[in-house]
Amino acid sequence: MKGYSRLLGTVGAAVAVFSATPALASGTASGTTITNSVTVNYQVGGVSQTATGASNSFKVDRKVNVTVAEVGTTTTQVSPGQTQAVTTFTVTNNSNATLDFALTAAQQVGGAGAHSNTDSFDVTNVKIYVDTDNSGTFNAGDTEVTYLDELGADLSRTVFVVADVPLGLSTGAVAAVTLTAASRESGASGSVGAALSQTNTGALNEVDPNFVDTVFADVAGATDGARDAAHSAKDDYTVLAAALTVLKTSKIISDPLNGTTNPKAIPGATVEYCISVANAAGSATASSVAVSDPLPATVTYDSGYGIFVDGTVTSGVCNSDGSAGGSYNSGTTTVSGSLSNVVAGATRTLRFRAIIN
Amino acid sequence: MIRNWIAKVAVTLAFAGSAMSVSAQAAQPIELIGVVKVDKVIVENGKEKHQLEDPKVVVPGDKLLFTTKYRNASTETVRNFVVTNPVPNGVALASDGADAQTVSVDGGKTWGKLSTLTVSDGKGGTRPATAADVTHLRWVLGVVAPGASGALSYNAIVR
Repeated sequence: MKGYSRLLGTVGAAVAVFSATPALASGTASGTTITNSVTVNYQVGGVSQTATGASNSFKVDRKVNVTVAEVGTTTTQVSPGQTQAVTTFTVTNNSNATLDFALTAAQQVGGAGAHSNTDSFDVTNVKIYVDTDNSGTFNAGDTEVTYLDELGADLSRTVFVVADVPLGLSTGAVAAVTLTAASRESGASGSVGAALSQTNTGALNEVDPNFVDTVFADVAGATDGARDAAHSAKDDYTVLAAALTVLKTSKIISDPLNGTTNPKAIPGATVEYCISVANAAGSATASSVAVSDPLPATVTYDSGYGIFVDGTVTSGVCNSDGSAGGSYNSGTTTVSGSLSNVVAGATRTLRFRAIIN
Repeated sequence: MIRNWIAKVAVTLAFAGSAMSVSAQAAQPIELIGVVKVDKVIVENGKEKHQLEDPKVVVPGDKLLFTTKYRNASTETVRNFVVTNPVPNGVALASDGADAQTVSVDGGKTWGKLSTLTVSDGKGGTRPATAADVTHLRWVLGVVAPGASGALSYNAIVR
């Protein structure tokens, strides 16, 4: 019984060895020697004999294939003036050997972006980072790089193209960026390897089946050709700005002679000012909206009434609503106040009163 | 005493056997020549053409043709001629024409047509074996007459 179970174990081990051939997507490792051997059993004159034969061996050559892909299928939405806006890519080594990959991020002048849009501006301060902590998102722990070092067969890294967005851009402006990964010799760890060259027909080494040739097998990318040992993909930034319209209106509340009935703008009359801030439909939410209004010397701030913020507007007319807030600086005779976030299509107001001198 | 006698007989028999093959012809009656070629598809004038080349440039995915040529170089008839060919590491049997061969998917333990074999699916069950599961090929030829020769070949894909 003991012997039987040991026999089973041996068979199991043998099967494991046969199925141990790595099922890598990139295939058998470059430099692997392949030899076909046969065993022939036969009998001559009733005596069993064995012969073995083997084919000439050859080495699997190096197949260079790299893929750069945009992560996600949407543009990166940015605000004017945003710093460190991120587009994300993956670089995958589909080669059957470890290689380095030189990384470059290029901008384009006009032309189609990555998402049925058209490039219209350039971002600034473009840098490439590798996802050092493999979190999938750009963070402080990630390292700025110019190449991927010693990327093994079938392995991939997440790479971020990080850039700043200039001020003064309108909603819909697009900046397309292309990340290109060019295969390099793996070389020494910690430095980018030398450029690769294909060993083509006619080369001296090509006659030796045991020389490990280099064959480029990559497909064409966004801006590079097929079989050039490089691949590229495009992504883009699309600006979503707040489009604010500011309007100041006034109405006479009362005057010393007519009271509140048909009041006229005469000295001593009370005037209500309304500053409305409207954000156009389809815009980004405007936050930290600060309103300030220096009063002319011809009016005096009505401290008894106070200041109301976050009021509403109906058909272009300010409503008498809002909450008390804001402040008045008597030194500069300036009324100021902060409004809550103004979402797309919304309007908020700041109201106060003054007396005509 | 008896054990000694048996040993002597065995030695004599073995000697007789080897002496017979020496007198018959060479020490190895069977000559084997192994050949490997790459089956390259060349597009010429818009038409695909297969061309067998020496394996100078071979990358994963390429199709190979392994051939074993045999010849009975002796004057004796060779019987029970069985050629066993482990599929080399780094290649898989090509799926086209695979079912015409006698193969093993368990390291040479059991044999049969590929379509009749199963392998473990890794989940406690089994699944039909595919060409990539083949570990060995076998050809059973029976009799090879003196001077007779032939070639046994199979297609494989570099993994």
